[in-house]
Amino acid sequence: MTDYLKSQRASDQLAAEHGIDDPFAAAIRATRMAMIVTDATQADNPIIFANDAFLRLTGYARSEVIGRNCRFLQGPDTSPVAIGELRGAIADGDDIAIDILNYRKDGSTFWNALYLSPVRNKLGQIIYFFGSQLDVSEKKQTEQHLRETRSDLEDAVEARTRELSLALEQKTALLHEVDHRVKNNLQLISSLLLLQNRREKEPAVKHSLRGMLERVNAIATVHRRLFQSEDVERFDVSAFVRDLVSDMAGSANRDEIRVSLDLERVDVPASKAAPLALVISELFSNALRHGFPEGRSGHISVSITRTNGEFRIEIADDGVGMAEGARSTGFGLTIVQLLCQQLKARSETTATQPGTRVVVNLPVNGAHH
Amino acid sequence: MPGRALDVLIVEDEVLLATELEFLVQEAGYHPVGCAMSSDEAVDLARSLHPDLALVDVHLRDGPTGVEVVRKIHDDCGCVALFMTANVKRLPDDFAGACGVIGKPYSEHGVKTALAYLAVCLEEGHAPGLPPVGLALAPAYAELWGLTETPRSA
Repeated sequence: MTDYLKSQRASDQLAAEHGIDDPFAAAIRATRMAMIVTDATQADNPIIFANDAFLRLTGYARSEVIGRNCRFLQGPDTSPVAIGELRGAIADGDDIAIDILNYRKDGSTFWNALYLSPVRNKLGQIIYFFGSQLDVSEKKQTEQHLRETRSDLEDAVEARTRELSLALEQKTALLHEVDHRVKNNLQLISSLLLLQNRREKEPAVKHSLRGMLERVNAIATVHRRLFQSEDVERFDVSAFVRDLVSDMAGSANRDEIRVSLDLERVDVPASKAAPLALVISELFSNALRHGFPEGRSGHISVSITRTNGEFRIEIADDGVGMAEGARSTGFGLTIVQLLCQQLKARSETTATQPGTRVVVNLPVNGAHH
Repeated sequence: MPGRALDVLIVEDEVLLATELEFLVQEAGYHPVGCAMSSDEAVDLARSLHPDLALVDVHLRDGPTGVEVVRKIHDDCGCVALFMTANVKRLPDDFAGACGVIGKPYSEHGVKTALAYLAVCLEEGHAPGLPPVGLALAPAYAELWGLTETPRSA
């Protein structure tokens, strides 16, 4: 007896057991899901039943599938791993659900969500395998498409991140370059003033040049400090005052004038650093230059404190006072007044006999705007 | 004038800065022995003049070659170099063998006090105290001159 005939007989037997009036058999024959039954008792486990949905799905005629092992559905692109898993499950008598690439009669492919499960007799022996096939090509395609889209998206994000990092790198380099140029140009300006001062004989002109040099130095001191901290937006006034006062007092070369500092750490926005530096420089210079004529000794104190919503900067000396020491020589005072206006700061000058006290109140973070 | 009368070589491509620095060095009581504007010139002058101290800008006429100049004159002539640059952060960690750095923009007073301080260090082999404002010492020199901590204040 040929295999086909054997299978046909097994099929007839199955059909006889589940006659025309068997609703379960009718359901399986008519369902839209492709289903097959194989005969595990025959050599090579041939198909003995295939419903119409299976034939529609695979494109074969019933006579072409009965009596064959269902591996004819596999083709060159079917995953060997999937085939291995399928064989393993059959050999172990386990059921298995697996997505596998199958081939139709015309050679076209479809993704088959295969469910295969053994059917046992009363003795527990496997006599049939029941298989159902569902075409999930569309789902697979969508998944594949999603994977590609996601991978494209990841590539795009990565590329954009690379671009941005590069742009940031360039901007940082540019910032360093600009910072470098600002510092060098300030150095150039101060060297120009120093050179001219060396050539100049007229005391009044020398005095003016010195004044300008001091102002440029105050701005230079700001720039030396400006990009030192990680935070380029904020400026530490106390550190700046320490640098400035030490430089000005040192270059005045007046050991008989004692300078004391009482500085609380306060930060201002970087944009306010230069005008504030000029105000402090001007006031300290005033005390240093005009408070102690003819080698008079004394004391200058500079303090910065923080009180409710304001920074209080106080520069006090015990020198000769305002009337005697021809102070507020026009330009310096004008600078202080104008810059206080710009900073929305209030400046008060008090004769303390002896000496002078100037207090500048600066709103914190532009609180008085 | 504190310390000994150092022979000072100026390596700076900005002519106005170099000229003013020369005046300043002289005014402070030291001997400016020459000015170089490029790296080749700097190395040649260092070899022929044997200065005690070279003040070196990082950017010279032939590019950012100041660091190499410092390495060469330190290795070849044993000359002590001091960087004067606006780009303190870009210096190598070992300062290429330089003793320290003065950050630009520097002040007249800042340079004078730094020179006086270094003159004492070179003369006596140890530092008279912490470096003045504006001067930062290289770690190797801070150790050589007996300082354990080196606040980079430049």
